[in-house]
Amino acid sequence: MSTAIVVLSALLFLALMTIIGLINQRSSPEPSSEPSPDTSAEGHEALDTSLPRLVAALDALRLGVVVADADEVLSFQNSSAEAILSSHDSRTIINQALRELLVEAVRGDAGEREIELYGPPPATYLIRAVPLSGASSGGGGVAVVEDITERRRVDQVRRDFVSNISHELKTPVGAVGLLAETLRDETDPATIQRFSERMSGEVARLSRTIDDLLELSRIEFADDLFFDSIEVAEVLGEVFDRFRSAADSRQIVLKSAGDLHLWIRGDRRQINSAVSNLVDNAVKYSSEGGVVTVTVSARGEVVDVVVSDGGPGIPSRDLDRVFERFYRVDRARSRETGGTGLGLAIVRHVAQNHGGEVSVTSKEGHGAQFTLSLPRSDDNGATEFDDAPTGTEQSDSSDESEPNDVSHEVVL
Amino acid sequence: MSDPDLRVEFHESLDELRNDLVRLGAMTVETIGRGTAALLERDLHKAQQLIDGDDVIDTLAITIEETCYRLLALQQPMARDLRFIICSLRLASELERSADLMVNICKASRRIYDVSMTPTVRSLIEDMSIEAASLTRKAIDAFVASDDGLASALDDIDDRLDDLQVEFVESVFTSHESDGITLRSAVQLALIGRYYERIGDHAVNMGERITYMVTGWLPEHAAVARLELRTRQGLTDA
Repeated sequence: MSTAIVVLSALLFLALMTIIGLINQRSSPEPSSEPSPDTSAEGHEALDTSLPRLVAALDALRLGVVVADADEVLSFQNSSAEAILSSHDSRTIINQALRELLVEAVRGDAGEREIELYGPPPATYLIRAVPLSGASSGGGGVAVVEDITERRRVDQVRRDFVSNISHELKTPVGAVGLLAETLRDETDPATIQRFSERMSGEVARLSRTIDDLLELSRIEFADDLFFDSIEVAEVLGEVFDRFRSAADSRQIVLKSAGDLHLWIRGDRRQINSAVSNLVDNAVKYSSEGGVVTVTVSARGEVVDVVVSDGGPGIPSRDLDRVFERFYRVDRARSRETGGTGLGLAIVRHVAQNHGGEVSVTSKEGHGAQFTLSLPRSDDNGATEFDDAPTGTEQSDSSDESEPNDVSHEVVL
Repeated sequence: MSDPDLRVEFHESLDELRNDLVRLGAMTVETIGRGTAALLERDLHKAQQLIDGDDVIDTLAITIEETCYRLLALQQPMARDLRFIICSLRLASELERSADLMVNICKASRRIYDVSMTPTVRSLIEDMSIEAASLTRKAIDAFVASDDGLASALDDIDDRLDDLQVEFVESVFTSHESDGITLRSAVQLALIGRYYERIGDHAVNMGERITYMVTGWLPEHAAVARLELRTRQGLTDA
């Protein structure tokens, strides 16, 4: 029995006694203004004061609570349950299951059912119903409806992570094992050469995964951060230099646009790693002859670095999950491109370490745009950040004549 | 049982009928999303679940139909109540057909299981699914709120889905010519586009029936008036 049911049971028992009492009182065929001889004044006082409190307590719960009496008629529902029962959207499907379970509970059978709604928005609900036993309860049943969408999502992420990390580590190790076994009995020099190259490839892949895991771990702990003022143009210059040969080999053009001379405040190594991962992905997923554009703009105290590509795009169902460790939209394609599945997780952690965020917009067949938002530095790096006066204009004289929102496109 | 008791029971029955239709609508909208996911994820198990689940939708549609017949026979409703029951009868049928079209899509997904769809084709399938689900949901909203404004707007809103279907068929032809999709698969994909477009048409039909429920007017009434006018003119000319 879940914690929710245990916590509720005591509260419900008290509530039900008073609710059922009130219902009986309301449904009395001849209501009397005089208290009945066997009812004490204290009892009435307790009823009047405790019922609203108990109902308020039940209404404050994020769980839906529904009570049916012994005649299978709904006698109480809290506000969360009312929202579900009166809905006209997908939740109306819960309504039906809830009623079926309650009827079974009234007849003495406890039961539970999990209902997954496709939505939108997608949601998962768990309904549990139990009979109300004991003479004082008057019979009937109680059902609790719980929105377990987030719990299921976290479970799924955890399950996928374990399965994906096993896959990412076992695949190259298995391949190396098989290749080594084959090489042991092989005498043909050309075959030995070919298998050796494949072994090197698999080892390099494993090494990249381990490097990225270590990098991710370092970034997650965030214990060696050194915040500095960094010019975006400088970071982009380094990143473009690193990926130019890979881009050139497939005639992909690397472009930058916007105000490249904006300054951000952050750890140089981590920022470099985040932007590198975004550009690396964009290059990998662009088709031959494509264009990867990095656009920089200011938005209040934030600098947005938008990396756009014209690749295959990301299906909408995967958009929420691409920043998870080892999550793959297309496993076969990822293996072709040689990615480790950790790049975007690294970007997300870098953004978090800097109080920023990363988001993605994409449509299948229409490329993807990743936006890394980082805190803007008012300082140009010549002085300590903390000493810089607030609201200082950028000091790069070459940019003084251009407002931040004026874009200039540069092919680096 | 006294007359007031009969009317209370009748109105409770109408409320139940409305709730059942809302549930049928919700189940149909769910089916559109799930069927599309089965198609795009090539999930044969999910497709089979949906095909099997259609029996539940058919059963609810039949229950609604029988309720309508029972109310018509026993309660002899008039005016708005009568139009509400007739509208419910038609809506149940339109929703049941929409769910059947999703079953067709699931069956088609089995026939094109090994076909690799281009990102553009996949994206258009997703867009059509979103539009079809949105139209069906809007029709249910209009029914619940007796909103003839929204109901009559569904025809224009459906233009988006029609445009998407045209674009989809063009992209399927392009895939057939340049990406090596076989003619058989291209035909299956084109049919899938047609099924989504038909779901939109069913939502428009629902809109017309809801308008009738609220106002007592149907688009066909204009055609009837035109025919009557032509007939009268013909008689005069003669």
